[in-house]
Amino acid sequence: MNDARPLRVAIADDALLLREGIAKVLEGGGLDVVASVGTGDELLEVLQAGDVDAAVLDIRMPPSYRDEGIVALESIRANGSTVGVLLLSMYATPEYALRVMGAGSGTGYLLKERVSEPQTLVRAVETVASGGSVVDPEVVEQLVKRTRADDPLSRLTERERSVLELMAQGYSNGGIAQTLFLGLKTVETHVRSILQKLDLEESPEHHRRVLAVLTLLGER
Amino acid sequence: MAPGRKGRIVRRSIAIAAVVAVSLAMEVSGFLATPDAERPEVAWVTLHAVVPLVFAACAGIAWAIGPSRVPARLMVIFPILWIPQTFYAVIGGLGWLWPVVRGIDLWWAVLTGILVLVYPRGWLGDRTDRVIARIAVAASLVNLIVVVLFASPDAAPCDCAPNVYQITEAPALFAFVDIGFRVVGAGLALVIAGRLLVRWVRGSVPARAVAFLMPVALLAWVLTVLALVVSYAMSATSLQVIDTVSLIAIASIPVSYVAGIAHTRNMRARVADLMRITREGADRGLWAESLARTLRDASVRVYWWDEENGRYADAAGEPIEHDPADRNGDHSLLPVSSPTGMPIALIRHDRVLTTNSRLLDGVSSALRLSVDNGRLRSEIERTLEQVRQSRQRIVEAGVEARRRIERDLHDGAQQHLVSLGMSLRLAANTAREHGDEPLTSALEDTITMLNQALRELRELAHGIHPSLLSSGGLALAVPELAGRCPVPVEVDVQAEGRLPELIESTAYFVLAECLANVAKHSGASRAWVRAHVFDHELRLVVRDNGVGGASLEAGTGMLGISDRIDAVDGSLELESPPGAGTTVTMRIPLHEAPSE
Repeated sequence: MNDARPLRVAIADDALLLREGIAKVLEGGGLDVVASVGTGDELLEVLQAGDVDAAVLDIRMPPSYRDEGIVALESIRANGSTVGVLLLSMYATPEYALRVMGAGSGTGYLLKERVSEPQTLVRAVETVASGGSVVDPEVVEQLVKRTRADDPLSRLTERERSVLELMAQGYSNGGIAQTLFLGLKTVETHVRSILQKLDLEESPEHHRRVLAVLTLLGER
Repeated sequence: MAPGRKGRIVRRSIAIAAVVAVSLAMEVSGFLATPDAERPEVAWVTLHAVVPLVFAACAGIAWAIGPSRVPARLMVIFPILWIPQTFYAVIGGLGWLWPVVRGIDLWWAVLTGILVLVYPRGWLGDRTDRVIARIAVAASLVNLIVVVLFASPDAAPCDCAPNVYQITEAPALFAFVDIGFRVVGAGLALVIAGRLLVRWVRGSVPARAVAFLMPVALLAWVLTVLALVVSYAMSATSLQVIDTVSLIAIASIPVSYVAGIAHTRNMRARVADLMRITREGADRGLWAESLARTLRDASVRVYWWDEENGRYADAAGEPIEHDPADRNGDHSLLPVSSPTGMPIALIRHDRVLTTNSRLLDGVSSALRLSVDNGRLRSEIERTLEQVRQSRQRIVEAGVEARRRIERDLHDGAQQHLVSLGMSLRLAANTAREHGDEPLTSALEDTITMLNQALRELRELAHGIHPSLLSSGGLALAVPELAGRCPVPVEVDVQAEGRLPELIESTAYFVLAECLANVAKHSGASRAWVRAHVFDHELRLVVRDNGVGGASLEAGTGMLGISDRIDAVDGSLELESPPGAGTTVTMRIPLHEAPSE
């Protein structure tokens, strides 16, 4: 993040009211909203034309009101752009979250109602702009709540479970340490133990870790 | 019904046995009482004794199969009237008996003539027939009176006692009546045979099939009777050969009768075949063909009522000829109409078949049934198709309504509440900047409550129509659905591409209902959901390891599932033995190939 220059953000949402609200929240958080459009295609044009650090877009947009936002994300990544993309949805759908994460690093998936938590939204935009991953806690909660026979999560301790949930939301070890008021060493020990118990490979790349954890939770 | 029928059979058997006994007694006693020298040949006597036995046997058969009881009764009386000439040797000493017997010893011939007249219907259908019968009966009575009052002992072949009824000696009158009666009888028999023969010659194939033995038998008998009458009148000794032919001809009459009835019955059996063809829904051409075969009448034509043009036409649509009945009288027309009076068809058939009213009744019934059947079937099919289509439209409208409600919630209430949360947040921030702690905390609480409301609204909207189903199809929506079930569910979805929307939403909601049942009633610790597409069919299986004992009747849950499956022409199979889990298998046909 460059403190000298505010992050330049483009917004795409077919609901004008929300679009303006999101812009207001982001500007309130010190970000620079450079474009505000109503469809994924328009966003793609904006991204191609201008110098944008991050895009915030709705999943359900015209013309079919299904998953245009995710389709737009996939086109952005297919074009080779690594711009941060934060997708907003009215529903916390794990299957969408996995698909979003699967598109690569610098992506996030949040519930729309997080616009009433400006810090969460601003931080999420900053995270994806810097190549990090963000997953809504509601999605993680749903995944963890899913009941499976022979659940590998049962092998985790209470503390390890909390750490895992934060890992899934895209927190770094440092972020987890801060959130849970733990020392970084302690968090690292927990993470190692979790990856071992869940038979996951330790990946040097932060995004891969999020995806691995989400996939595990989804397939469990 | 059964006891009455049994009693009737017993009564009839006793009657037949009794007349056979009487007949044989007369035959044997007469033979034994006749002096050796005057005895006829044993072979001839045997043949003579067999004739009443044939009648008695045919009476039994006619009783069993005949449409009328009259012919059987005539046949069973015959053996009593079949009095051998030798019997006078037995009763000759009884002056009060032999004249009566002498008066009725030709009544068997009258009876046989009437039997021929009632053929084949079982009653006297024709005016001429009735006149002939009346003349025969009247002549017999006159003959009886004359014989009783005027016969002298030499009128019978015996050394007879004097006739106790005799009022005077009138040999000329007696001879006149005695011979005249025979001549009249022979004449009447000749007329009957002639009528039958003419009918037979003029009739077409079916007529000959109905009656061909009878006139031949009758003619043979009449000819022999004529010969006998001539020889009797001339007081000559009759030829043994003619006598024998006569016996055989007489015996063949009841046999012809029974054979004729059996033939008619056989025809009725073929009408039953026609009924069967009718029930199986044959087309018009085949029906007319079967009818011709049934009636053994190749000239049969069926003209169907053409409602549009208000006329009769054949199966090919050619309108009826000007006068299909033709005035020569070879053919008759049988109109058939529905119970409501609507004309159905006109059957042109051989006139002779008119005598077999039962057969024609059967044919009309079959045709009526056929047309009614066809009409009902097409009506039911049409109604069923309408119901099927309207049910599908209703279900589709339901799916569409759910989708619209969810979208309205998503674009309306949910968006507004999210915006509202945002505004509240801005207000709370402003309040905090102004250092108004109580207002800030009140606004924070409101935001928390609002988010709770949003969460509930989200669940509600998801339940109405999961957006994931619209965008991701069953492959995404079913695992998500299974993930919400409190019982651990193993999911296996193999449905490449997307299925029609109605099929997808039906599958989704029946699976949701099944999983709700698993969670609520089964007590299962594990469940399995499978959704496979193959062979143009979507097969859904939900299995659990719970208590079982589910049934389609027990709750409305399974019934709702079954209704949804029915609406897309699918089928449902429920296997739920108590204590051994529940397996619900549903198949939904995919009329169009899944879109890629």
